[in-house]
Amino acid sequence: MPLYALRVSLSHLSFRIPELLSISQLFGFEIKFVSSDKFRSVLVVELEKDEHVERILDRGMMVMSAIKLYASGGSYEELHADLRAHKEYLEPHMDQSWKITFESINHNVTEKRQRETIDTFEWTGLRGPIRLKNPEVEFVIYEDYTFLTEGTHDRDFRLRRDGNFDRVYFGSRIGFGRARPLLNTHSVKTRAYYGNTSMDAEMGFIMTSQTLAAPGKIIYDPFVGTGSLLYAAAHWGAYVIGSDIDGRQIRGKAKGKETVPGVFRAAEQYGVSNQFLDCLVYDVTQSPLRRGGWIDAIITDPPYGVRAGAKRTGKGKSHKKPLLEEPHLLPDGTYSHTREDYVPPFRPYELTNLMLDLILLARYLLVPKGRLVFFLPTVTEEYEAIDIPVVEGMRELKVGEGSVENFGKWGRRLITMEKTATDDGPPPTFEDHPDYADFEKSQERAPGHYQFRDRYFESFKPRVGKVADEVREESEASSASQGPA
Amino acid sequence: MVRLITHNMLTCHVRNCTKDNFPLVFSDVELVVREAPENLDFIRRFLPKLDWAALVDTARSLGDESLPGTQPEEFTDEQLRALHHVLMEMHVEEGKMTCRGCGHIYHISNGIPNMLLAEHEVGR
Ligand SMILES: C[S@@+](CC[C@H](N)C(=O)[O-])C[C@H]1O[C@@H](n2cnc3c(N)ncnc32)[C@H](O)[C@@H]1O
Ligand SMILES: [Zn+2]
Repeated sequence: MPLYALRVSLSHLSFRIPELLSISQLFGFEIKFVSSDKFRSVLVVELEKDEHVERILDRGMMVMSAIKLYASGGSYEELHADLRAHKEYLEPHMDQSWKITFESINHNVTEKRQRETIDTFEWTGLRGPIRLKNPEVEFVIYEDYTFLTEGTHDRDFRLRRDGNFDRVYFGSRIGFGRARPLLNTHSVKTRAYYGNTSMDAEMGFIMTSQTLAAPGKIIYDPFVGTGSLLYAAAHWGAYVIGSDIDGRQIRGKAKGKETVPGVFRAAEQYGVSNQFLDCLVYDVTQSPLRRGGWIDAIITDPPYGVRAGAKRTGKGKSHKKPLLEEPHLLPDGTYSHTREDYVPPFRPYELTNLMLDLILLARYLLVPKGRLVFFLPTVTEEYEAIDIPVVEGMRELKVGEGSVENFGKWGRRLITMEKTATDDGPPPTFEDHPDYADFEKSQERAPGHYQFRDRYFESFKPRVGKVADEVREESEASSASQGPA
Repeated sequence: MVRLITHNMLTCHVRNCTKDNFPLVFSDVELVVREAPENLDFIRRFLPKLDWAALVDTARSLGDESLPGTQPEEFTDEQLRALHHVLMEMHVEEGKMTCRGCGHIYHISNGIPNMLLAEHEVGR
C-alpha cells in the first residue's frame, strides 16, 4: 500500500493517533503508522489510496498538509538512493508541468541552500515544463528538524544546525489540511456566545473526532453549559442535544420574550441551527428522558467543581438531608415551586459518583457501539488505571498511555468509551454509590479525581484517605477565582 | 424548539408519577415552523425509537393531521416526508407541557423547556 507523509502540528501530541484512528474508523479504511517515532512533525502512514488521505485532510484537526511519499532518508544521499530505487513513482509525472517546494520544519533554511537542494533533483530528468503557478504536480521536500524551545535565536547555532535534520522526505503534494482553519472560524473569541466554561475550539474539535460525528447521528452533551462541545459535532452534520442544570448557561444574560438563547445564537453564527435539536434544563440525575438506546454519542466536559460546580437537586453539604415531602405553601396562597423564579435546592455532586453515573448513563442511552467521550480531571501523580470505573457493557478505547492534557500539578485525560452491550438495560438510579462515600473514612487510596475540587484549592498537597469539611470551607473562602478554563 | 422529536423522548419524571406521565400535553403554545433539510435515512433509522401513538396525538393537538393513526408497516417516501415535517420542523417556542398523571407543568420559554423538579418532587 502507498505511503503518505503528513505534516502534523506538535500540539496535543497524545491526541494525535486517537484522532487519526477515529477518522479511519469513521470512513471505514485502514491506517498503519509507519514512523518509528509517531510524535514528530512528520508522520508517515500507510493507506490504500489517495481518497483516504483526503478524508484525513478533511477531518484531521492537527494535520497541516500531506504528500504521497516517494522517498526518504536520514541524509540526501539516502534520499536520492531511495528515489533511484523507486523511479516508477515518478513515471506518471515525467511529462507533467511541475515545481518543487522546499519546506523545512522547526528550522529556517536560506533560499540559497533551498535552490541548491532543489537542483540536486536534476538527475530525475523530468521532461515537463517548470510552472510555479498551478503546476500539474507539486513535488515537496520536507526537512524535519527536532523542535527546540531554546537556542534557536542564536545565529551560529542555527547555522551549525542547518542540514542536521532528523529525516528528509520527498513526494508529491496531495493537499493541505482543510479542518485546521476551523480553529479560526470557530474561535471562542469571535463566537456570538460563550462563557468561562467554554472549551477552546481546537480541543472541542479534537474531542468531537472521538465521537465519530457524521450526518444523521445524534450527539448529546448532558452538561452542555454554553454549548462549546456541540458546535463541532453540528459542523460535521450530526444532530445535537444538550442539557444543563443551569438554564442561565444555555441562555446567557439577555432576558425577555423575543431573545434568542446564547447557544442558539452561536449555532446560527456557524450555520448549524438545524442541527440543534434542542437544549433543555434539567438535572442529569433527575432526567426526563423516556428511553435508552437512541443516542449515537455522548460528549461532555463534566463539572469538576473548580469553576462550574457539580451539583444535584437535594439538600445538605456533605451529607444528604431530608427534603420537603409536600409542596411549600406561601402566605399568598400559592405554592413556591409554581413561581417563575423558583429554583430547587442543590447539594454537591461528588465527582467520583458523577463519573460512574455518567458511564452508567451512557450504557443506557447509547446505541450499540455508540461512544462516550469526556474529560476526566486527575491529580497527575496519583492517576492509575483504576480511576475509570468499570461498567459492564462499556469498554475504554485507549491508545498507548491515553490522551492527556497536562497543566502541571493537575491534568485532564480524554476518555473514549464504546458501548459493547447490545441492549438498553435499565436506566441508572443515580443513588450515591456507597463505595465512594467510604473513601473519607478508609485509608485506602482514592481515585485521582476524588474530591478534585478540594485538592485543586489545596494545590494538590499529597494526602491519604481522610478529608475534612473544614478544608473545603476554608479553601472556598480564601480561593480567588483562578481556575482552569 | 421544542421539536416533536425531542418531545417524544420526554416523560414526566416526578417521584412516584408512573401513570399517564407520557406524553406531556402541550397548551398555550406558540408554534413556529422552520424548514429543515431532509434526511429520510435518519427518519427511517429513528422510527423504532418513536412512540407512534404519542407522536400522532401530539401532532394533532398542534393542528397537524398528516400522520396516520396506526403506524404503517412500510413507509412511503411521502409518509417519511410528513414525518420529517412533524419531527424536525415544528417548534414549540413558548408554552406549557403538562403531565396528565400528576399535573406538573413544565414551562417552555424562548424554545427551552425547564424540566427541573421541585424539592418535593425529586426521588430520594
Ligand atoms: C465544565 S461545565 C461544561 C461547560 C460546557 N462544555 C460549555 O461549553 O460551557 C459543567 C456544566 O455542568 C453543569 N452541571 C453541574 N451539575 C449538573 C447536573 N447535576 N446536571 C446537569 N448539569 C450540571 C453546570 O451548570 C455547568 O454548566
Ligand atoms: Zn407527572
